Amino acid sequence: MNSKKKHAWLTSNQMILVYIIAVFSLIVGIRQPAFWDFATVLNTMRAAIFTMCFALCEMIVIISGGIDVSFPAIGCVAMYVPMYIINRVAPIDNAWFAFGLAVLIGLAFGLLNGFLVAILNLPPLIATLATSSIASGGVVTILGTREFTVLPSSLQAIYNTNLITYTSPKTGFQYVLNVLVLVPIIVCLLIAWMLKYTMLGRGLYVIGGNKTAARVAGFNVKKLQFAAYVWSGVFVGVAAMIYNILMHSATTSALMGDEMITIAACVIGGVRITGGHGGVGGVVLSVILITLVQNNLNMLGIPTSWQRFVVGIVLLLGTIITSWQTKRSMKMSQA
Amino acid sequence: MKKKTASKKLNDHIKVLILMMVFVLILMAVLKGPVYYSVNNFRSMIFQFPEYGVLSFGMMVCMIAGGIDLSLVGIMNLGGVVCALLIKNAGVPIPLACLASVAVGAGCGALNGLIIGSLDIPAMLVTLCGLEVYSGLALAITGGPAINGMSDSFKNIANGSIGSIPYVLFIFIGVLIVVAFIMKHTVFGHEVYFLGSNKQAARYSGINTLRTTILAHTMSGILGGISGIIITSHLNSAKSSNGSTYTLLSLLIVVLGGINPDGGGGTVAGVTFSIVLLQLIANAFTIMHAPDTLKTLVNGCLLVAALILDKVMQKRDMQKNS
Amino acid sequence: MNESETPYGSETVWGFFSKKERPGQNMGNEENKVFLKLKGIKKSFGGVHALRGVDLEIREGEIHCLAGENGCGKSTLIKAISGVHEPDEGEIWINGEKVEHMKPIDAINRGIQVIYQDFAVFPNLTVAENIALNGEVKNRKKFVNWKEIHQIAERGMAQVGAELDPDMPLEQLPVAGKQMVAICRAIVNDAKLLILDEPTTALTEKEVGKLWEVLRGLKKKGIAIMIVNHKLDEIYQIADSLTILRNGKYISSGKISEYNDARFMKDMTGRDLVETKYDPAPSDEEVFRVDHLTLKGRFEDVSFSMNKGDILGLTGLLGSGRGEIGEALFGITPPESGDIYLNGKKIEIHSVADAIKNKIGYVPEDRLTQGLFMERSIEDNTIASSIRDYFHGMSLNEKEMREASERWLKDLSIAAPSIDPPVRTLSGGNAQKVVIAKWLNTHPKLFILNGPTVGVDVGAKAEIHDILRGLAKQGIGIIIISDDLPELLQNCNKIVIMNKGKVRLVTDNKIDKLSL
Repeated sequence: MNSKKKHAWLTSNQMILVYIIAVFSLIVGIRQPAFWDFATVLNTMRAAIFTMCFALCEMIVIISGGIDVSFPAIGCVAMYVPMYIINRVAPIDNAWFAFGLAVLIGLAFGLLNGFLVAILNLPPLIATLATSSIASGGVVTILGTREFTVLPSSLQAIYNTNLITYTSPKTGFQYVLNVLVLVPIIVCLLIAWMLKYTMLGRGLYVIGGNKTAARVAGFNVKKLQFAAYVWSGVFVGVAAMIYNILMHSATTSALMGDEMITIAACVIGGVRITGGHGGVGGVVLSVILITLVQNNLNMLGIPTSWQRFVVGIVLLLGTIITSWQTKRSMKMSQA
Repeated sequence: MKKKTASKKLNDHIKVLILMMVFVLILMAVLKGPVYYSVNNFRSMIFQFPEYGVLSFGMMVCMIAGGIDLSLVGIMNLGGVVCALLIKNAGVPIPLACLASVAVGAGCGALNGLIIGSLDIPAMLVTLCGLEVYSGLALAITGGPAINGMSDSFKNIANGSIGSIPYVLFIFIGVLIVVAFIMKHTVFGHEVYFLGSNKQAARYSGINTLRTTILAHTMSGILGGISGIIITSHLNSAKSSNGSTYTLLSLLIVVLGGINPDGGGGTVAGVTFSIVLLQLIANAFTIMHAPDTLKTLVNGCLLVAALILDKVMQKRDMQKNS
Repeated sequence: MNESETPYGSETVWGFFSKKERPGQNMGNEENKVFLKLKGIKKSFGGVHALRGVDLEIREGEIHCLAGENGCGKSTLIKAISGVHEPDEGEIWINGEKVEHMKPIDAINRGIQVIYQDFAVFPNLTVAENIALNGEVKNRKKFVNWKEIHQIAERGMAQVGAELDPDMPLEQLPVAGKQMVAICRAIVNDAKLLILDEPTTALTEKEVGKLWEVLRGLKKKGIAIMIVNHKLDEIYQIADSLTILRNGKYISSGKISEYNDARFMKDMTGRDLVETKYDPAPSDEEVFRVDHLTLKGRFEDVSFSMNKGDILGLTGLLGSGRGEIGEALFGITPPESGDIYLNGKKIEIHSVADAIKNKIGYVPEDRLTQGLFMERSIEDNTIASSIRDYFHGMSLNEKEMREASERWLKDLSIAAPSIDPPVRTLSGGNAQKVVIAKWLNTHPKLFILNGPTVGVDVGAKAEIHDILRGLAKQGIGIIIISDDLPELLQNCNKIVIMNKGKVRLVTDNKIDKLSL
């Protein structure tokens, strides 16, 4: 029994991700010794911030048995509108205002998603697709497509606050890690705790596993569905404002298309697309893997134009391996 | 009498679509009659819809089969890039280059279908990754910049016309007839409906579900390849990021056209009306000088409205039956 | 586990019909308190009388069996007891107290727990959570105390006598394990009356034994148990008393010792068995034969044959190989070795396509998920397996397709206004006739039906049996796979009994052997 459990742990989805990360790092490290530097850790963390935030939104929705493809559009609106107001309507130079408005916008669209899925019972993919067009179509029609590249001083101050400053002894370059990296880290811990130790968290798994049984057991299915989509909307508002600060750019289309890689990241991290499975640990590993691949293909000598293709292949293989893993664990149990 | 109950629900759906078309047409007659009802305007409409119309038929086939094809735009661009490269750099005759585009589409679709069917992975995931792979391949082949300046005769495929009727209308009608025939009058077409309606029952009825899945996605890929030719010719340019809004648009079209998102239901006629309706609306926006993005907003609202309407009708149907 | 109680282990085939082992006889139930009492319960849905006056009495520490054919009102009665449907007329007394306008939550608070066939469990959660979570929701907990969850689960499992790994995800358990979890959950939630809806349909012989052991343990603790079941042998094994319903009407009730096979059958079906027995003219023209058919892990060395006019019954408990043989002959999971002869010709089955090519039809066990396309029309469903026959030249001949469907609609008297409405709108019996029509339209030479009348009401059941008899007379080989013994006794003139993957016995179903 014990050795069986140990075996199951060693071949679990998370451990396989660890192996792949290790092997990939080894290959890159052998070809480019410069990889073995603390700077790699900082670069990876910096690059992973957005994907991690988005994955934290998407993960909750998928666990609850839905899917959200509207978060890029919601995020765009949530960073564009405050920046539009600050730049063109009233120069409110206050970080709380920027983040607060972003959260409110996210909340509004999250409620719309929740309404469409939980109350009207529409298929989540199509409902969130509709929200996506309403959000991006609406904001562009009213406010136009500009790009704001200058941050107000309050946000610039956040940009200038670094958590870690590190000068590489090998290259002499200076690397910094912004304080905002704490947001996904803290939220990861909170979500991990919430999923495991609160009835809200267990409820999300419960409705992702069997909605009818959840209703019979006395769970408020609609409320839980709302919670998932509202969380996704609210947190993507925060994430988008972080994007705006770190990238110095707020446009109406900056995040569009990110849903693809985010969903893939969740699935590779062990969040089953059918709902009810997965957790923060796997998703963190999966985001690290994807970011490592994206960041270090240059080091492997793969030309820029081929990188999207290679990342696509990695995602496809990851998805196939995960599905195969799932099927195997189901089969093992029946025997 | 008997015929009437046959596809009552679908007829209802198509009726609603036609009503909406009539509404748009009347509204435009009142607001901008002379401009809207001009040969030129109708010509410009016809030049626009075939590329995403053909794409939507691909989406339709996959959705009827119980899946979805999110990789269609990737296939379209990959096909377009291959076609453009063959013509421009290798001097391949146009018909052969077009055939290559279609073949590339078929290959991509078959790969999608193979992975979905044999490994039993949700179509959404596979085609989502497929989009990255095919778009990535198109990007890798071009190396970044668009391929421009193909021969005039190639440009004419999507921009030329006989008299005042554009060639692409014939292409679209041709595709429409073939797709409609396949879905309604062939064994494969019926098997696609059976597969989407209940995969297990299809297997227990002796339908080769793997083969049908692969064929359905191959057909979708072929249609993606065809629309790749059209869009490349239309823009006279091929790159990996053309028509990026078409995934959403084609989904909207098929759902608005009455295809059941869970698979197994819907008709080619519904999708065709839906294509035309959306083109009428898009054109109305252009004529009214409304911002293009307002269209996105309206499309989103239309999608929700169509789904709610479907729910209401389903409920009414249920009540009538019980 | 009591091995001697395994029904097919006894020396005579009809051992399970004999009056051996009846645990109920020794129990002094009269002294126990009545827990639930129903008086004259009536319920109708839109003019259809589902229950027309049902009386029922269940005592603490008693295992009561509710029996009746499909459509007799069993499930409506359960819903009335559990507060899902409020009866139109009649009284419900729980623990000596009359309860009015009972809601599901009232029933639960009074200790009534129903375990439906799908168990309403969460496949993605662990055993411990599944057992404890419902109680936590009821207590409006906001946080999860894993130690407490484990304690509750361990307590529940100890009370029930189940041995499961509390950290095992439920989806990795077999059906019997999920059922145990559901029982533990009910006990943890203070069940005083445990209702199990057809608990043995998906269990293997060994698992049924374990279930009985658990239920007897609970009975000793004073819990009232009601089992919905229509399998005679199982009722004799476990029940103390019995209530039989037919057509929504209360027929009889009493201690198990007051019943014998003949009375049971008569009360269940309203007919004597003898009247309706299928007895074809003998023939020595062989229609179908299998020799040494084997699929490792499922069944081994299975041989039987049938002649013209024969209807062959294939029975045994779940896991005995009865269903697996059907799936094998139809090529879903093809056999590994052995020979198959159809009309004297040797045939090979490696896939469903092979089976269809050789004119074998198969009505699967689960009509809804395997047999029908619920949203498609009757016509589509009818031609689903024979659609290739209508492809002439360039396209499908729609007229022929319609004509064929309309003919079957009439021939099988499927109650539908036309061939156009979706199958979803049909009743269980008519839907099953559509599945049969689908295969008849392929002109099968061998027709295998797995549980052909599950969820079919009495009237349609008789009609389906008539259809099958008619087909057999035409020389089509008919194999009925079923665990519904009365059905097999009435309709088959040859019965193959399976046990643990092997043929236990092949018998011609002669009436005198039964000595009713």
